[in-house]
Amino acid sequence: MEAFFISTANFQHLLGNLVKKNLLYGPRKKGDFLFYEKIETASPKDLVLHTNRPVQPLKSFFFPPYQKVSQYFQVTSPVEKEIPKRVILGVKSCDLESLKTLDSVYAGTQFSSSPDPWYTRARDNSLLISSDCLEPDENCFCTLLGSHPYPEEGFDLNLSPVDGGFVIEVGSEKGKTIVSQDQNLFTSADEALLAQREKIRANSQSKVKELNQEVEVKSPYRDLIRESYPSPVWKNHSESCVDCGGCNEICPTCRCFLLQDGTEKDRFERVRLWDACLLTGFARVAGGANPRPKLADRFSNRLFCKFYFFPENVNLDACTGCGRCISVCIGKIDMRKVFRDLEKESSEASMEKIK
Amino acid sequence: MSEYDPIKTNISQVITETPNIKTFRLKPQRSLDFKAGQFIQLTVPGVGEGPFTPSSSPYEKEKLEVTIMRVGRITSVLHDSKEGSVVGLRGPFGKEYPLDKFRGKEILMVGGGVGMAPLRSLFLSLTYRLDDYKRIVFCCGSRTPKDIVFKDAVLNKWQTQFKDKISFRITVDEGDGTWKGQVGLVTTTLDNLDKEISNFKESLAVVCGPPIMMKFATLKLLDIGYRDENIHLSMEKNMSCGLGRCGHCQMGKYLVCRDGPVFTYEEVKNIPNIWD
Repeated sequence: MEAFFISTANFQHLLGNLVKKNLLYGPRKKGDFLFYEKIETASPKDLVLHTNRPVQPLKSFFFPPYQKVSQYFQVTSPVEKEIPKRVILGVKSCDLESLKTLDSVYAGTQFSSSPDPWYTRARDNSLLISSDCLEPDENCFCTLLGSHPYPEEGFDLNLSPVDGGFVIEVGSEKGKTIVSQDQNLFTSADEALLAQREKIRANSQSKVKELNQEVEVKSPYRDLIRESYPSPVWKNHSESCVDCGGCNEICPTCRCFLLQDGTEKDRFERVRLWDACLLTGFARVAGGANPRPKLADRFSNRLFCKFYFFPENVNLDACTGCGRCISVCIGKIDMRKVFRDLEKESSEASMEKIK
Repeated sequence: MSEYDPIKTNISQVITETPNIKTFRLKPQRSLDFKAGQFIQLTVPGVGEGPFTPSSSPYEKEKLEVTIMRVGRITSVLHDSKEGSVVGLRGPFGKEYPLDKFRGKEILMVGGGVGMAPLRSLFLSLTYRLDDYKRIVFCCGSRTPKDIVFKDAVLNKWQTQFKDKISFRITVDEGDGTWKGQVGLVTTTLDNLDKEISNFKESLAVVCGPPIMMKFATLKLLDIGYRDENIHLSMEKNMSCGLGRCGHCQMGKYLVCRDGPVFTYEEVKNIPNIWD
């Protein structure tokens, strides 16, 4: 894809132009953490583009935690508000990957007969300017899933820091338009700059690999999980789970929701709220029957969804290695260790057979 | 118009079937085409919605009925509703009973309790073109004689109307002073089936009822020679959006709202906890 160079000063210019016509969001530092926050000026002090992903999952922009989906039995339908154009800056490769899963559920027709109107409208209205992740944290593991800390697709524009500015890569028609509107801000990216980018990227890639040496497995997660339901590994690892559903809420690919009805003045409303399959009542039916009354079953179900249900349905792992579920977990549960132990167990079992 | 908007619907009649089961006849503002086995989402305005399989004939569009047991929040409000109350409908959703596969076959229907609701819809579909099928055996289990759903139909009307081609085996777990029929679990109606069904390997079974009943009925059918792919089960999970998105009804690689609620035993036998 086409790549350009943009100097730091020109990049500020670009932000200045974007902020005029769009709602601009980007990773900003609050205490020790990064959050996607609104950016009002062209040179926000606390904008952090090239460390790892922010705390909130990217899904919040397209599949918000609370969405009104129906006002029913009204004489007139509610008027849909125009949603402003948004630019989301500093999206990391892992979060871009997560959109593949969400798109399959909300924008595609593999699961539903028609795309979800709220999701697709929010997607259409947003421009994604991603950036390479140069400072992975201890819970990052994109490399274990065959990915890397820099994006190759799914963005409109991507930023890679180089001396004096950024290599900016065009990933879509929308991205191309941005570049052509402010042509004078960009110059062509020469071989030397691209080589510099590759070097920085390779360095970051090896950082992630190094961080995961202890938990690396030989087989893909989807192969390890397939026959693992009876394994004691699930119970062992879920022993410290406190049933909070935090891993669900913060996961960029967890896409489940609850429909809740209520009354607002003289009309009835239906909203959809993020839901969590780790919670006891998630799959329970009115009569009381519950297919997953045991915590270990709900714990394994979440990962079966990611590495069995989604691969079977859309040939995608619904996990991007962002590590948020590890960071958020009160019980210090680490899914990488679950898979490491599943592999260990299956290799021990095959050793037994050979004996 | 949102796909989460329910169609405004009037309850035109409430029929008490048993002490805790009622049938509601519904008049939606827009008519709704469904096939036996598919489900609808029924909204209690401002309270919420729940999935139900219509119990009426898909061919009688003016008589859409759902038969509902009082078990939870939504069903309790419904049971307290009077004729004329307003509810909402979305759907239909999911896959129907594969009637094409049933053609020319001996069909065994096994229903327990409120599980008789979808079976009534199926029964009315089958009898709409009764010549298409070789024979039907309808087994029905209830807790006590008072709990028999569609009592008049299963004990009298249907028995007389279809006596040449359909036989009924009705049992109750516990009899009372007036009950002269069979006493025993619904699985006992599957004894000596060879009197009525000539070839278990080719016969198709449809089972619908409480999970524990479906489990033991299925095990017994397998034992007498039914094939995994010929046993049709209604997996009534926690279906919510009906659109394949919300994730509540995920079961193995399936979404029950999209791939079910009717599954063959072959499709679901390797999924953990299917009977829960």
